[in-house]
Amino acid sequence: MIEVSHLSKSFGSLSVLKDVSLDIRQGEIVVLLGPSGSGKSTLLRCLNGLEQADAGSVRIDSVRIEAMMRAKERKKAVHELRSLTGMVFQSFNLFPHLTVLDNVIMAPMTVKNMPKEQAVEIAERLLGKVGLAEKRDEYPSRLSGGQQQRVAIARALAMEPKIMLFDEPTSALDPELTGEVLQVMRQLAEEGMTMVVVTHEMKFAQEVANRIVFMSEGIIQEEGAPEHFFAGPKTERARKFLRQMAQEPV
Amino acid sequence: MKLVMDNLGFLFTGAYYTLLITIVSMFFGLFIGLFTAIARLKGNRLVAGIARVYVSIIRGTPIIVQIFIIYYGLPDYGIALQPMTAAYISLSINIGAYLSETFRGAILSVDKGQTEAALSLGLTPWQTMRKVVLPQAARTAIPPMGNTFIGILKETSLVSIVTVTELLRSAQLLIAQYYVAMPFYLAIAIMYWVMSTGFSAILNVIERKLSKAY
Repeated sequence: MIEVSHLSKSFGSLSVLKDVSLDIRQGEIVVLLGPSGSGKSTLLRCLNGLEQADAGSVRIDSVRIEAMMRAKERKKAVHELRSLTGMVFQSFNLFPHLTVLDNVIMAPMTVKNMPKEQAVEIAERLLGKVGLAEKRDEYPSRLSGGQQQRVAIARALAMEPKIMLFDEPTSALDPELTGEVLQVMRQLAEEGMTMVVVTHEMKFAQEVANRIVFMSEGIIQEEGAPEHFFAGPKTERARKFLRQMAQEPV
Repeated sequence: MKLVMDNLGFLFTGAYYTLLITIVSMFFGLFIGLFTAIARLKGNRLVAGIARVYVSIIRGTPIIVQIFIIYYGLPDYGIALQPMTAAYISLSINIGAYLSETFRGAILSVDKGQTEAALSLGLTPWQTMRKVVLPQAARTAIPPMGNTFIGILKETSLVSIVTVTELLRSAQLLIAQYYVAMPFYLAIAIMYWVMSTGFSAILNVIERKLSKAY
């Protein structure tokens, strides 16, 4: 369903992705692990065109985006890519000037020209799903971080994406609030959503992922089923990373 | 005092024109400012360059010179404007340049994550600007916009020089007629002050309305 091939990306002289290739099947839950600065987030952001690669290509379904595309074709492809993917950010990025409900219905109404009643119906169902139906008329600033992130998930789901991209969704949250967000993500996973998740939540990775992709220094160092990865990482870098994560008080 | 009272109607007419010029110029200045700000931020090099030069010229020259160029300069090229039209045009162009700086700053102050979230939802860059960035930038821009507005309310007095009978020129005409200056000048000073503070109050209400979400 997702096919990343030979993707490279530099920021100035800093090379963040080096010839990365990765295939993801429909319904798969892939967790990207790795130390900060390893290129996980950049890879994720290349999947919906928020980041433009210097070389290589990304294909999702039949939409293909290549580094060497002309601006106009690229624009069209990026737009299609974004209709297939939903993204959840570390800093939630809810629209502070809109109520919770308006946050969720804005994109369907703007992008799909969906009639308001229909958008509201979908939004209410999704807000119910993330357990925040009663907050529909609040502004984001009145919600806790965990609640904001759940709204952000509902907002992304309202566009009915085939793939959900999570960029450190719980990193900005207090430990007691991460659980509620991870719970929603687990539920999504159970429903068969294809998910690519950048996270430092080892427990989530272990329990929910179908596959761990470990990155370091812009390269996929190793990948495999979580039970294998956590029990016996093949590379020294992964072993070191897991040791460090184990030491962190969570 | 009696002289002022007797001619209050005339002065009010002047005040009306002052207000009219302020509001009309502000209205067009807003669009020019917004357009210029977006041109500078999102335009290609040529468009952004033109916008930058425009802002630089307007901010680097006295407004009175700009008014003279429009009213006295343009007729050399066969473009003779009515005094009011010249006032509208020169002030709109002037306000546009100043507001574009305000808007540019306000747009830049909106967190980049907002744009990314909107784009990731499939909004086009233009929809993102309109639905997500500008509404948030507006909140930041309101206080400095209010200052520009009140500033321009006072600077309209400059167009009296091109024979627009706004508030200042109304007073000057009365002074020429009665040979007394102080009462009329004091009267219009009070009228300017009332209008300025009135607008400040209105802007405060708008500001409070806009920030209710935060």
